[in-house]
Amino acid sequence: MAVDLTPLTIASTLGVAFGLALLAKGMAGQRRAARIGDTSTSTISALAVGEVRISGVVEPAELLLTSPIQSRDCVYYRARVSESEGRSERTLFDEERAVGFRVRDASGDVRVFPRAAHWLVPEAFSAGTSLLGDEPTGLRLREGGALQPGFVDRASQISELLTVHDRSAPDASIGDALVGHLGGRREYREARIEPGDLVTIIGTVLPFDQLEDPTGADAQTGDGLEATGAISDPVVAADLEEARAAGSLESDPDEAWGNAAIPGFGIGRPVRPPELDGAATPLPIATEAEAVQIERTFEIPAETLIVSAAPDSGLLVSLGTPGIAVGREEDRFFVGLLGAILAIASAVVLATSLSRGIIL
Amino acid sequence: MPMLAAAGFSLVLLIAIVGFVALATYNDVVALLQRVDKAWANIDVALKQRHDTLPNLVAAVRDVMAFEQTVLEDVTRLRNAYDPDRPITEQGQLSTETSRAIRSLFAVVENYPTLRSEANVLSLQAEIERLEGVIADRRELYNDQVYRYNTRVAQVPAVLYAGMFGWVRRDSFSATEDDRVKPDVGLRPA
Repeated sequence: MAVDLTPLTIASTLGVAFGLALLAKGMAGQRRAARIGDTSTSTISALAVGEVRISGVVEPAELLLTSPIQSRDCVYYRARVSESEGRSERTLFDEERAVGFRVRDASGDVRVFPRAAHWLVPEAFSAGTSLLGDEPTGLRLREGGALQPGFVDRASQISELLTVHDRSAPDASIGDALVGHLGGRREYREARIEPGDLVTIIGTVLPFDQLEDPTGADAQTGDGLEATGAISDPVVAADLEEARAAGSLESDPDEAWGNAAIPGFGIGRPVRPPELDGAATPLPIATEAEAVQIERTFEIPAETLIVSAAPDSGLLVSLGTPGIAVGREEDRFFVGLLGAILAIASAVVLATSLSRGIIL
Repeated sequence: MPMLAAAGFSLVLLIAIVGFVALATYNDVVALLQRVDKAWANIDVALKQRHDTLPNLVAAVRDVMAFEQTVLEDVTRLRNAYDPDRPITEQGQLSTETSRAIRSLFAVVENYPTLRSEANVLSLQAEIERLEGVIADRRELYNDQVYRYNTRVAQVPAVLYAGMFGWVRRDSFSATEDDRVKPDVGLRPA
């Protein structure tokens, strides 16, 4: 039987597909809402091993990210730049990234390792270029690298103040993506979690020594970010390439790192005494407060409880209080039910048009 | 013929939605039951830790507190009454009474400067205080989890098939009647 592909037939078929897609998304939202809403919030000081829900304020751990579109300090971002011209649309930049962070409530704090997390974070910035091509207000493309230390001591802050930065060009990772794409209307979208934001997390509590591969516990997806480790950072990779080309990379760890290259120097006991250079300028000794802060940041005892994803239970990070997170996901379910109504209505229209041969 | 297909499609979609809600509710209640059991198991761990630590504290202070035997006996008696197989409400009452006896013991220890300066007593006291905090927090968590479960099984649609699956109300780890009495702090208008 031949079917006439009239505009009404096509529109109603698309309506069925779109309605079913909305329904599927709504059902997924309902499952997430149930998972968040049916778990009670644990106080961090009384955490026990297993699945928990915690809610508290985000604090940076070792590292912070700089968001690509608004250059805000954050622990997670999802950024997308798309360009549309006429009916065609293409994505110029799409990246999602997170680093480990702490969550603090009234009783204490706990580290969160975000690998394999599912993020429920609404967009903080969504704007496009105007009809005349003007960039939207609030756009501030990232300059420099994506990563920065989460804890900055006094000496580093002074050094940063005395350093002149080249602010003429945006970060290569986003700058390169936008070069040569100035024709159409661009849309910028960014969602992020910043230090100080209130989050609700459902994850698995386990001792730190049971965390598989802590060094790869950050989360990142996007062009050039698939590899793990510091080299995956495009800025670090570019610096390394430049140093390699200039021949300034040392071939021997002893020459590059000096005493730090002695096995056991950083962890455990060094296998030989360090060679002290009397002419070297000694680094200022850390204050007691700084020492405590550094130890808290970089030394994690094996028995310390942390939150991460587990093979049988994913990590869910949602911006806002548990009530807000549940409300947002339940809204998705109601939209999904509207999607079902749309699908049914579209099916009826499709059937009518096919049976009566309506042509619009 | 197409109209029949549209009606069939609508019917299948409605059945799918109703089936999804029924299945999701069943899974949610089963998950809630698991969470209630886990929350209780976590309290049990803390109660057991307190049960194991208390004799060390009593032994450390017994000789010095020769004239405070009643307080020590109370703690020992309640500690010996701990039985993880008892019903949850009874365990809740016993735990609250044990906490009260421990608070009395700590108050008495404050009157003995020699005890307060002993590192062993201080560390045991700190450990028991930590465990008391953990028990209080986990009790709150357990009660909240029980509240969520009891609410869910009393609501539609879970209430429609609660009988079929044997979903009954769970007891909270509640405070005793004594705890509900407001303390008399001795403040009277002049």
